[in-house]
Amino acid sequence: MKLFHENEGITRRQFFKGAGMLTVAAVISGIFAKFGFDVFAASDDYITQRVAGLYTLDESMAIRKSHENPEIIQIYKDFLSPGKLVCVSPKAHHLLHTKYGQDIPGFIAELKNPHYVPEAEPAANEETSAEEPAA
Amino acid sequence: MSTVLSDGVIHVSDDCKACDHCTFICPTGAISGELGQKHHISPKKCINCGQCLINCPFNAIDEFSRVEELKKALADSQKFVVVQEAPAVRVALGEEFGQAPGTNVKNKMYAALRKLGFDKVYDTEFTADLTIMEEGTELIHRVYGFLGVPGFEEVGPLPQFTSCCPAWIKYAEDNYPLVLPHISSAKSPQQMWGAVAKTYLAEKLNVDPANMFSVSVMPCTAKKYECERPEFIASGHQDVDLVITTRELAQMIKDAEIDFMALPDEEADRFVGLSTGAATIFGATGGVMEAALRTAYEILSGESLGKVEFDAVRGLDPVREATVEVPVKALGTSLPVSVCIVTGTKHVASVIEDVLAGRSKYHFIEVMNCPGGCINGGGQPIRRDTY
Repeated sequence: MKLFHENEGITRRQFFKGAGMLTVAAVISGIFAKFGFDVFAASDDYITQRVAGLYTLDESMAIRKSHENPEIIQIYKDFLSPGKLVCVSPKAHHLLHTKYGQDIPGFIAELKNPHYVPEAEPAANEETSAEEPAA
Repeated sequence: MSTVLSDGVIHVSDDCKACDHCTFICPTGAISGELGQKHHISPKKCINCGQCLINCPFNAIDEFSRVEELKKALADSQKFVVVQEAPAVRVALGEEFGQAPGTNVKNKMYAALRKLGFDKVYDTEFTADLTIMEEGTELIHRVYGFLGVPGFEEVGPLPQFTSCCPAWIKYAEDNYPLVLPHISSAKSPQQMWGAVAKTYLAEKLNVDPANMFSVSVMPCTAKKYECERPEFIASGHQDVDLVITTRELAQMIKDAEIDFMALPDEEADRFVGLSTGAATIFGATGGVMEAALRTAYEILSGESLGKVEFDAVRGLDPVREATVEVPVKALGTSLPVSVCIVTGTKHVASVIEDVLAGRSKYHFIEVMNCPGGCINGGGQPIRRDTY
């Protein structure tokens, strides 16, 4: 008890104040170390693993290029551009392309119009020549 | 109709402890709230990416769910329910059943979906390949237009941005309307699949598209918003009827008491189910770019790629760039194609400013909202073990 009565030392009250503040600081840094840094370290970890999973799966696939997918070639020849392989054909344009922002209301009206005629019909020929190497 | 379009997909529940963590995660500043009070998400600013949801330490942020509606549709014998799953789902779904991150469970996933009662199980990867064909061709046309090749005067400007990420699309529409002509007009793989299912597939299977119920399993909460956008009616019906996330699918499998890891390995159904490795990597940041390069290179040069991997576009840095020398057979010259990959919408603003100011040196820019790509999407399993 003598310790707390000496003038050059600290009072009992000051000691508890100091010790309390140190404890709080230790608890806060402990929480941050656990909840703060762990989150970033671990999140990078699972992201890396999931990405690696996809690249491994890619390597295991028999076909690795989109234009070599036989079902893709088939859908163009059967349906999107009958008889040949033409990307951005009128039908492909109608089904597979969209518009953004301010153009949307007009685009919806165009889609809802039952007499809708696919536009850009003549352009298809030029695209054919540009796409020839794909076929 | 649901209220997703007006109220958004992501909501803060009463469990909110007002820790403010989400306001630092949110890429658009949509979350606000006084210290100590429940926070609020502005549906106008929110791009529905769900990054706040998967990062909330208190599990206090919810997504709008239509699982009950899906269960009714599966029980309805009148409805022909078809399903597609995104590439990123197959490497994360296993985590809900005790597997390590990155474990490929696609064959068990197909089996589980058939067990849950889906009439046909297909794969979004098919239309990821279709996206590459359409988006890649559009890029080639834009390059021809830029070089002054006759016949390509009407095409859009360069650089071309990718259009697969619905959160990025809403961000651009909300904040940078001037950049919209630069975004590829090709729909996202999910919406392409929806449009093809209710036309081509319905015809092949002899099913009335009005009775077809098209479901999509996505790693993404923004896809729930995308499927209800009013312009996606190209098939004459709503192209994709309903979206569930990876987490919701895992919960459905658990609710049905299916022993997931004990399921046999099955394959996806044919016609719109076969896919390539190029489509698989769509789920990772830089993947769309790499898949597009594989196809564009071979089409433009007319020669076969020796090594299909483009290591320069891989990685996890928020902004990456690369230049690929592509020999163009039609022009008889070689073209240095400059590409940029952005992952995390927080980092896209400076890239857009450069494009609008005419300073951008890129030809093709991939933007994915979630850090790391779709594999870290807002609909993926939450890594609670990291807290």
